[in-house]
Amino acid sequence: MGALLGILTLLTIGLVFFVVPPAEGLGYYVRLAFLHIPVAWVAVLAFLISAYEGARFLRSGELVADAKSAAAAQLGFIFVILATVSGAVFSKLTWGAYWNWDPRQTTIFVLLLIYGAYLTLRGAMPAGRRRAKVAAVYALFSFLTVPFLVFIIPRLYFSLHPSPVLNGSGLAMDTIMLAVLMAALADVTGIFYWLFRRQTKRLLAEGENL
Amino acid sequence: MHASLWQGIKLVFGKEFTLGLRFKAAWSTMFMFALTTLACVSLALQGAPLEPELAAALLWIILFFAAMAGADRGFADEDTAGTLLTLQIYGSAQTVLWGKMLYTCFLLVCLTFFIVPLFLLLLGAEVAAGGVLAGTLLLGDVGIAAAGTLIAALTTGAQVKSGLFSVLMLPVILPVFLPAIFLTAGTLGSGQLPVHYLLGMALYDGVLLAAASVLFDYLWYED
Repeated sequence: MGALLGILTLLTIGLVFFVVPPAEGLGYYVRLAFLHIPVAWVAVLAFLISAYEGARFLRSGELVADAKSAAAAQLGFIFVILATVSGAVFSKLTWGAYWNWDPRQTTIFVLLLIYGAYLTLRGAMPAGRRRAKVAAVYALFSFLTVPFLVFIIPRLYFSLHPSPVLNGSGLAMDTIMLAVLMAALADVTGIFYWLFRRQTKRLLAEGENL
Repeated sequence: MHASLWQGIKLVFGKEFTLGLRFKAAWSTMFMFALTTLACVSLALQGAPLEPELAAALLWIILFFAAMAGADRGFADEDTAGTLLTLQIYGSAQTVLWGKMLYTCFLLVCLTFFIVPLFLLLLGAEVAAGGVLAGTLLLGDVGIAAAGTLIAALTTGAQVKSGLFSVLMLPVILPVFLPAIFLTAGTLGSGQLPVHYLLGMALYDGVLLAAASVLFDYLWYED
């Protein structure tokens, strides 16, 4: 799987640099979006997986679910940092400032805080069932912020951020760009899945959650 | 509500209140933290006027961190004193949670009554819509109490306690915190007063209360 992902990554990079045309108003800065959008998507996906596995642990008591929840959060933290940094650079290149608390910047920052808090909590507890339970409860409790981040924050602040690719009026992107974006999304999601499986195995092997 | 549950909640609230008055640590820490912070701000400003947005943010930062200084003790004190196990044997999860939550909310309302008039007095701020400000403060206190009680239970047994409570609280409480700052700024004369945010705050408070109630059972009862 690793080799396949390596080929897909090289192919995607090639497409981004040699096939994707410059975007109107953004020029070649648009290339950064093919990193930024997929890592932001995976950051949110990892959050969902972490909360879901947390719920599974609370229902079944299986320590594998706790290891998966922890692995998703650890990887999600890395991806959310990548999304924050790439977003800040993109913001500087297009709007002239690294940070201006745009609704989506706020959303990703809150996600960063949640991941940081979750991992801090795990780090502060001795390994065992108690830690697994506490971490699962926090993962689910912090998940309550999702409707707020998605529906309320955009109404609180003015946004310069481009509309989502898929919006109410349909697809708002050039066909080639959209195809490359889909390839990048598949690639980064695949990389996350590959790392997620490895990290879960590593945590279980180390007895991290026992 | 079931009569025995309500009776239990009242008993837990009474126990917390009595212990709070006897040892006073949570009360004095919260009140003195709020007073010291406010005095620092007021001294630094030397009577200079403050924009409503900045004043509102300052007020909520003081309230939030003062609450963090006192509301984190709910379960840690029981753990230290060795009474947590007794409470687990004699008290049901919901009785303990709601009793402690009610007490934390009472503590925060008292803190609010103490610090907000002082804040308005020392910073020379004028309130344009007192009812909205009161509603905002009350909903903010309820939200902090709901999230704070569950998170206080989470941090019991943590090897590192210092700062952990605030780190866990902030992301969860932001949906209450941000609209509260907007509304408070409006009541202090920023020009916009989006009263419908109160509904959003109340809804989120309700979600926090319900989720805390459901999740607390998992923490309280051993496998």
